[in-house]
Amino acid sequence: MLADDPPSGDQLNARVRQLLAGMAAHGDRHLAEVERDLVQMDALLDEAIKKLCASFMAIHHAVEQQQQDLNAFQAHTLSLPDYAARVASQRGEVARHVGDAVTGLQFQDMTSQLIGRMIQHLAGLREVFGALDTQGTVLPESGDRALLAVLDHISERVGMHCAALSVTSRSTVNQRHMNSGDIELF
Amino acid sequence: MNKKILAVDDSGSLRQMLSFSLKAAGYDVIEAVDGQDGLDKARMQTVDLVLTDQNMPGMDGLELIKALRKMKNYQNVPILMLTTESGDDIKAMGRAAGANGWLVKPFDPARLTEVVRKLIG
Repeated sequence: MLADDPPSGDQLNARVRQLLAGMAAHGDRHLAEVERDLVQMDALLDEAIKKLCASFMAIHHAVEQQQQDLNAFQAHTLSLPDYAARVASQRGEVARHVGDAVTGLQFQDMTSQLIGRMIQHLAGLREVFGALDTQGTVLPESGDRALLAVLDHISERVGMHCAALSVTSRSTVNQRHMNSGDIELF
Repeated sequence: MNKKILAVDDSGSLRQMLSFSLKAAGYDVIEAVDGQDGLDKARMQTVDLVLTDQNMPGMDGLELIKALRKMKNYQNVPILMLTTESGDDIKAMGRAAGANGWLVKPFDPARLTEVVRKLIG
């Protein structure tokens, strides 16, 4: 084909197919990331809520038990040494459940990081779709060089946004459970 | 006098949990919202231990550790990373920057206190 020859219909078809395939692959990749983050967030929230409910019930139970022991002590059916031993034991139990609740409450830190990452993906996708907008350009009616130029321009803008979005995709949260994490001293 | 711990994290709820846990164990806690705030507060007064998150807006945890290790009064202060990240590569970067330990979130208050006691008593 000479430089001045108009592009063939096959060339235009190939360019449109390439653009659509790129968009599909890009959309699929980023929506898959968002889906992955949502599944992870669902698992973390589920565990966190279970942990917090269990802690709340256990603390409530311990407080009720403390009240019963106090009543028994005041009614002289529980000796002072026995009462003191029970209070000490319950204090330890409450501290353990409060510790579990503190671990469970940290879901907010992890889920907010996941949400932040999802927002980045979705905002990036919006920009990619925005790049498809011809911004008022009237598409040429016939399959000629001008149409090819418009497609090239759109592909270039889409490519730029896709590249920018892929930089932000590293996940900093890999936790799948709300169990306390590893500790390593160097 | 209680030992002082600088807790650096951009998550308000996490700072609250850290503060609650460490204060209950008898430590004074100074909170900072990011690396730069942590560095500013560390300059104002020397603390006994620094506990920092990694991913924060502006100055991150690794940058904070490098900046602290350049300060004469922070060359031997224990610094622990407390982060959601657990990859070997980032841990190695933390170690190279001068961190003394790596704790993966979520933390358990009893285990955290145990580690802090081990380092600063």
